[in-house]
Amino acid sequence: MSYLNYVIAAYAVFVIVLGWDFVATRLQIRRELRGARLRAEREAARPRKGAAASELSR
Amino acid sequence: MNPIIRWFHKLGSPPYFDRFAARWAPWGYGLGLLVMAWGLYGALFQVPADYQQGDSFRILYIHVPSAWMSMAVFALMAIYAAIALVWRIKLCEILAMACAPIGAAFTLITLLTGSIWGKPMWGTWWDWDPRLTTELILLFLYLGVIGLYNAIDDRRAAARAAGLLAIVGVVLLPVIRYSVVWWNSLHQGQTIRLLGESSMDSSMIPPLVWMIVGTKLWFIGALLTRARADNLRRESGKGWVAELARGKA
Repeated sequence: MSYLNYVIAAYAVFVIVLGWDFVATRLQIRRELRGARLRAEREAARPRKGAAASELSR
Repeated sequence: MNPIIRWFHKLGSPPYFDRFAARWAPWGYGLGLLVMAWGLYGALFQVPADYQQGDSFRILYIHVPSAWMSMAVFALMAIYAAIALVWRIKLCEILAMACAPIGAAFTLITLLTGSIWGKPMWGTWWDWDPRLTTELILLFLYLGVIGLYNAIDDRRAAARAAGLLAIVGVVLLPVIRYSVVWWNSLHQGQTIRLLGESSMDSSMIPPLVWMIVGTKLWFIGALLTRARADNLRRESGKGWVAELARGKA
């Protein structure tokens, strides 16, 4: 095949850029879901308003 | 209510859209990959080499579909942005902003593959030719939209500002399209026509059609996934996202 290096380079660019787009989006979704889970856990761990504060009432 | 209109109303609900995108995005990616694989097989192994350009012309099968996508995605982004600006539909804001990185990726592919193709055929990696320069400006417009959207904290205000830039940027599309007609250009003129006869040999067309269809299907997958990510980001404080996150943990 003539100009083989150029053809390989061009097709590699195509695969790498689309592959990056695919992976980056997956990671973004994972990050958002992880952030949401951590936020929910923080909120669950926070003492509720009106609940007895055992440490202070001792 | 008409079932289609009812479906559109339902799609505007963030949890419903999340489920919809999570369900259909893999189909877009999967079918896109299959069709592109078939197209690439034809492009690399079935189509004969060009009598003048040799095998370097095979770069066309990724360069042309990417170039078409770079412009089509920008037009779609502007349409979504216009709908979002007029009717304040949040989902259209999300979809418009999800178009930008995908369009930028296709524009980058267009520029890089064009440059790689240009070196053996023109003897240079780059020339300030009208077609190349306008395509580079398109990339800068995409980057401008992405930058503006991420520079403003209020998601809705950011989407409106970036959407306005996308709408204004649409004037560039006919300039890119007709740059090879209006000016003396190193870039070749139009050789492939959807309507009418192409100046390319008919045996070289089928893989190109597969690649054009494949990139469109891939784009659907990418758009739904990116829109889903942005939807989750905007709704991160809501209960349904926390429930979904707990389910995924």
